[in-house]
Parts: sequence; structure tokens; C-alpha cells
Amino acid sequence: MKPTIAIREPVVDDALDQAEAKLTPEQIEKVINEVIDKETGGRLWTYVNTCIHCGLCSEACHWFLSNDRDVSFAPVTKIKDTLWVMLKNKGKVDAAFIKRCSQIAHTECNACRRCGMYCPFGIDIAYMILVVRRICAKLEMVPLYLQDTVHSHAATMNQMWVKPDEWIDTLQWQEEEAQGYVPSARLPLEKEGAEIMYSVIGPEPKFLAQLLGNITVIMKVAGCDWTMPATAGWDNSNMAMYSGDFEVMARVERLHHETAQRLKVKKIVMGECGHAFRGAEYDGPTWMGWMKPPIPIVHAIAFYYDLLVSGRIKIAKKVEGPVTSQYPCNVIRNAGLGSKLQYIMNEVCENFVDLIPNDRHAFCCNAGGGTINCGPPWKKIRVQSAKLQSENFKRTGAHTIVTPCHNCHSGVEDIVDKYKLGMHVKFFSELLIEAMEIPEDLQP
Amino acid sequence: MVNSESWDWEIANKMVADTSKWKSQFEDVWEPYISSDGEKIASIVKVGEGEFNIAVNNATWGEEPFEKIWYSRFSPDGRLTALITKDQEWTMAVDGKPWEQMYEYIWDTKFSADGKVIAATTKQDGVYAITVDEKTWECPVKLHSIASHVISPDGKTSVAIAQTVATAEADVNAFTKGSWSVVVNGKPWKENYVDVYGLTISDDGKNIAVEYRAAICEYGIVVNETPWNEKFACTWEPVFHPTNSNEITTPVRQGGQWFLATNGRIVWDTGFYSLLYQTYSPDGSKIAATVAPSFAKWTIAVNGQPWSKTFNECLLQPCFSPDSRKVAVIAKDSGNWFLVVDGTVLGEGYDNIWPPVFSPNDNKVICKVEKNGKYAVAVNGKIKGKEYEALWNPVVSPDGTKVMICGVEAGKYYRKVVLLSDL
Ligand code: SF4
Ligand code: SF4
Repeated sequence: MKPTIAIREPVVDDALDQAEAKLTPEQIEKVINEVIDKETGGRLWTYVNTCIHCGLCSEACHWFLSNDRDVSFAPVTKIKDTLWVMLKNKGKVDAAFIKRCSQIAHTECNACRRCGMYCPFGIDIAYMILVVRRICAKLEMVPLYLQDTVHSHAATMNQMWVKPDEWIDTLQWQEEEAQGYVPSARLPLEKEGAEIMYSVIGPEPKFLAQLLGNITVIMKVAGCDWTMPATAGWDNSNMAMYSGDFEVMARVERLHHETAQRLKVKKIVMGECGHAFRGAEYDGPTWMGWMKPPIPIVHAIAFYYDLLVSGRIKIAKKVEGPVTSQYPCNVIRNAGLGSKLQYIMNEVCENFVDLIPNDRHAFCCNAGGGTINCGPPWKKIRVQSAKLQSENFKRTGAHTIVTPCHNCHSGVEDIVDKYKLGMHVKFFSELLIEAMEIPEDLQP
Repeated sequence: MVNSESWDWEIANKMVADTSKWKSQFEDVWEPYISSDGEKIASIVKVGEGEFNIAVNNATWGEEPFEKIWYSRFSPDGRLTALITKDQEWTMAVDGKPWEQMYEYIWDTKFSADGKVIAATTKQDGVYAITVDEKTWECPVKLHSIASHVISPDGKTSVAIAQTVATAEADVNAFTKGSWSVVVNGKPWKENYVDVYGLTISDDGKNIAVEYRAAICEYGIVVNETPWNEKFACTWEPVFHPTNSNEITTPVRQGGQWFLATNGRIVWDTGFYSLLYQTYSPDGSKIAATVAPSFAKWTIAVNGQPWSKTFNECLLQPCFSPDSRKVAVIAKDSGNWFLVVDGTVLGEGYDNIWPPVFSPNDNKVICKVEKNGKYAVAVNGKIKGKEYEALWNPVVSPDGTKVMICGVEAGKYYRKVVLLSDL
């Protein structure tokens, strides 16, 4: 099996370079065989042995399509150049090979699972990519910025090194901001027995604190009984799931769910983030041995949908002009919330111009799966490989792209910037704040 | 433990406060808390623009309102604490009286068992510390953050997991060298670790243990600065033996399964898909833990032996009877919460169940339950007595014959003492 010719601009990533210098063939062999023998099973073997190398999955992948159909970006190639070699050589590969594996698995695949829909056998390439990432993580071969994010999760239980006092202080500040719109709004901290625990991802208190103010207004207008924890466990995001450090992933997910259990809530409503939903709904619970989350998880899309359908929030004035939306893979393709997203768009926007392809078939923003967290060294190729989706956005003629996911939000901002689309990028909560009716008795 | 001997255990149904009046008295009323003895109920209330106080029974807490108040909590000795701001600085206030020292920030109030000692995490001039009864740690190294802290039952030892070394953004090398440690009464342990979790202190206050991350994929336990020789793929929080604080037990992961280890040695030979919340019996002779023998089949194992009955969602922490013979746990199955004692479901399913307590004499299990938005007391899983709008965990009298039930009915807060036999 010849390695695929992959032409890439050189990228300096200190963590990968250091790991390459440190790793021994014995360590590599041991870890590969340990992971394959103890952490995988029939699923992996079925996929590996079923694949007929037809390449149909290529047509599904935005990396392949955005890079002039370069076969080195094809889904099956990403497995051929990584896992197949490890299996064939029974783990006897060198450090340079593991480095290339990390580059492929961490920086050139979003684990978006679109290709699995186009494979005649439904082979889940993304699952195998995560096996490769797991091997890389155990060998400490993880891109620098992604690893730093995982360290943040491990040390602080949030993604952004937010300290406990900064978290609470930000919530108290955003409660005051919300009171500018609705004077009686409250952001209730540590309210045991509330119906809802609202959880967010690290970037909200760090960079996008206004989103915490937005939800405080929305919860008040909708009359929800809710709370947020004043302890660690407030962050629902999980980059350790994507680096391959499943022990840290599990610790973060466990704390998130136990915080909800401690607060005795009926459900967790989570802010607009896709991968966080995946971690809290599937990967975390599965590792812990929970069939489903011990406290049910509701993604913001499903939550806003319920509030609109039930009339708990009403739209006073729809957003004018053409607006489109990114479909976050983890909650649309992988959790089926596409029609709810479309419902919200139609309720809130005068002219919702849908993407083609849309819903489950929509393309990834190319930031997901931890790729954006690999940081500045990998940005150029990431945004270049989102060319296809930039054309899809452009075709809508929208002035605004809605992104009900933090990774999509940052990734789409990069796309808008690079391809000079001149579009705004917003979360649903920002649209709702603009369009929602504030009942008279709640107005200042 | 709170000494409940001195509480009023006369059989009575006392209306302590008409909290429904608060709504007309104040601009906003937050969720209430009660004192351990049930004699006081308190809610943070808004009294004006940027002015807050706490309503306590029929009075208010502070002489003057504060700009902000949050985290109002009763100390076990009945004093009401809260975190307050004045001129945009924070401090602790006890029974309405602020501590003299103000801080950039203060949070995570903790009490000694008798409630006499009050501690919290504080930040001043960018330095983090634990402040115990207004006295802030003097630590020889700058603490850059405090993740969590505990205080010994006697209040004499306060311990925190703290960041002892500053790390620059994306400096993964500094991080893997170790930047977190354990600080005991202001004195840091010598070693720094990659990460530190699961801080625990023995009941006698003599021993301190944590989980630590020895390398990216290696975890272990450190007791009083000495690590176990054994390392594992993962660990969860350790716990000390209740009477012999030289013994410490923790779940450890090896070969993709979870085992129970005591002082570094695996003591349960069965591996589980999951193992959590190991709990010693009061006499220290047994350990119960929440386990999943296989995926999504949850149960309790006592001394390594799982019950035959399993549940498909999750189990919370097990709880022993005072005589160490029985084990109760709250289990979730198919969307409902159940009380389970020694592997048998008692009563029906509920929307929520709070931690159970055993009566000392006849091993009745009493807990607060929720159904259709109302709360009630359940004995052996069956609702006894009326429903409440709000209810606190029932408390059994020291002689085991009576139960204190505190709840809100039609906006009024009642403290009731009833005979257990009448329930
Ligand atoms: S990016 Fe998506 S479509 Fe491309 S290989 Fe990865 S999972 Fe498949
Ligand atoms: S489409 Fe399926 S069978 Fe064909 S190469 Fe891709 S993964 Fe293999």
C-alpha cells in the first residue's frame, strides 16, 4: 500500500514537533496495540473489512471538494494513510508517521460524519478518525492549541481557563446588563430544584458575555424556572473528546451532569453549541456507562423551538431581509434538529433563504470537530478548505448567517472574512433579542 | 455533625413565618433557605434600586441594605451568612454584619461541623487565598487560582487545590511540569502536579488526600504529600475510612475497567464498566459503591458483590443505615426516580427524590420526594402526610422517635415535629 502523495505547505506546530522528537517506536507500538485491542472491537473491524475502497465518500467531503478534488483529502484516504497502516504493521510505525496521523485526524477532518451518509455501507469514517486521535492523544501527539484547550478543561473544568470568581462575577454583571432590557430579570445562581439548569461553553463568559445577558432576558420573558451553577460544572463543552483524551472528557462530562443532579433540576438546557451537545448527550454518557444523560439535555434549538411553538415568546417584528443559517453537524445531521432550526428561522426572519444542500446534507463549517481549536498554525488550510461552503453562503445573498453553534460561529466568521462575503454572523439568541416581544409589564 | 439534641423536639406544628407577605413587602423575593433546626426561614429580597436585604422570619437581616447579596446560607449553628457588596467590594456578612475586610471577590462559603468556623475563598490584589473567620491565609507563594477547598469537621484545617505556578497562554510544557498543588492552612505541599482533583480530608482532620495526574495518561493518589506507588489510567475521588484515617479507598481504572483500590491495592477483584461514590459503612466494616457491571446496568455493590436488581439510567451515592447493615440509594430507571433498599425498590417512582435518611431504631427510610410539582415526605418510598409547595429534607431526632418536617404550605412556613410512628 503506497502512501498517498499529499502536498501541504509546511506548518510549524511546536507540540507536534516536540512529540515527534520524544516518541520511541516501542511506545508507539504499545499504545497502538493497546487502543486497538482494548478500546475498539467489532465496529472497527467491520468498517475496515467492509470498505471496498470505492471512494464514493469523497464526493461528500468539503475538504476534497474545496481542494480541487485532491485525493489526499478524501475520507477513505484519511483512513488509508493512518489506521490501515497501523493495523497492517501491527503498530510498528515511526514518530513522523504518528505526526502525520495527527495532522490528518486532528486538522484535516471535522468528524462531521457527512461521508458516512454517502458511503454505500454507511461506514463511519469519523469514528475511525477518533480512534486515530485517541492513539495520538495517548502518545501526546496533539496540536498545540488543541492540547492547551484540553489542559484548560482538565485544570479548570472549562475550555477557556476561566477562574471560578471570573465566572460568577461575569454572571452577576450580565444579570445587570439584562436588567437594562427587563428590570425584573434575574440570573438565579445555585437555585436547587429549578426546572432548568442552563449551561454554556467557556467562550461565553470569556468573549461573548452578552449571550449570558440575552438568555437572562429570554428566560424572564418566557417565564422559565431556571438556574446556573456557581461552581465548576457550568461548561458543557469538551475539546478532550476531540483530542482523544477520553479520561479528561469523562471527568468534564461527569461533573456537568453531576452538577445538574446536585441542583436537582429536571433538564439541562444548553446554549448554542454543537459539539458540546454531542459530548453531553452521547460521548460522555457512553464512556460513563449511562444509556442516556442522567438529566435530559435540551439543545438551544429545541428549546427556542418549544418557546416559540408554545407562545411563551412571541415575535414582535421579524428580522428584515434575506437571512440564512449554518446547520451545525452535531445537532442537525447527528441529532435531527434540522426542521426545528428551519421553523425558528421562518418564525424570526422575514426571508429565510435556505442553504443548498441543507438540513442533514448541509456541509460542515469546517471549524467543527476540534479543527478550529488547533489554532493559528492550521487556520490557513482550514479556511481554504471551506471554499465550498463559502460559495453556498454566497449563493443565498443573505446579509446574515445564523450559527447556532460556537464553533460554526467562529468558523463562519473566518469564512466571511477570507471570502469577503460581507455578511454578519449571529446566534439565534441575538436574533431573538432583536425580534422578540417584551411584554409591557416587563418593560423598563 | 450538627448537634440536634438541643433543638425543640416537642410534638408541635409551628407556623414560623407567613412568607406570602414578603411578596407584597418587597420588590422581589428569592428562593428561601432554612436554618438546620428549622426555626428560621430566609430569602434575599430586593428593597429598592440596587438595594438588597434578607427577610428572616418576621425581620430583616442587615440594618442597612446592601448593593448586592447572594449565596445566603445558614451556618449549622444558626447564624445566617451571605456574600455582599458595598462600594463594589465584596465580603462575608454574618447575621447582617459584614466582616471588616473587603475583597475583590469572595465565594464558596464553608462551615465547620458545629458551624462555629466560617471559611470562604477570597481574592485580593489578584492573589487567591482561603479566609477563615476573617483571617486570610499568608501563603509563601502566590496562588493564581483556587479550584476548590475543604475544611475539617473541627474547623482547624482548611485545604485548597490551588494554582501555585503561573503559566503563559499555550505553554503546554510548563503545564505538564506541574502548576497545581495542595495548600494546607496557607502552606503549599512541596510538589506541583499536572492536575489535582478530589480533595478530601479525614474526619479527624489529620490526613489529606487528592487524586493527581502524574502524566497525561497517568493518575494516582497522594496522601499527605506521599503518592501511592501504583498509577492508573484514571481515578475518581478518594475517601478515608471513617475510624481509621490511615486507610483510603478510591475507584481506579485499569485495562478499560474500574476497580476499587485501598491504599494502592485493588481490593475488589471484579472489574466494572463504571464504579463511583464508594461509601464506608459507619462502623467501617463495609464499602458500598455505585457500579455498572455492564453498560447501562446500574446497581450497588457491597464489598464487591453487586445486587441482582439493576437500573437503566443512573444511581446516586449509596447511604448506610446507622447500624451499618442496610444500604439505600436513589436510582433512575426509564425516566423515574426510585428509592431502593438492599436491592429492593420501595414504593413508586417520583419526579425527584432527595438523599434518604434511616431512622436509627427501626431502619425506616425517610426522604423528600417530588411529584407533579409538589413535595412530600415519603417513608419507605410511600408518601405520608400532605403535599407542600416547598419542603426541606426531613430530620430524625437523636433518639430516633420523631421527625422534623419543615415546609411551606399556602405561602406559610411551618416547622412540624411528629412521631415517626405516626408517619
Ligand atoms: S470532514 Fe466530514 S466528510 Fe470529511 S472525512 Fe471528515 S467526517 Fe468525512
Ligand atoms: S464510500 Fe465507503 S466503501 Fe467506499 S471508500 Fe468510502 S468508506 Fe470505503
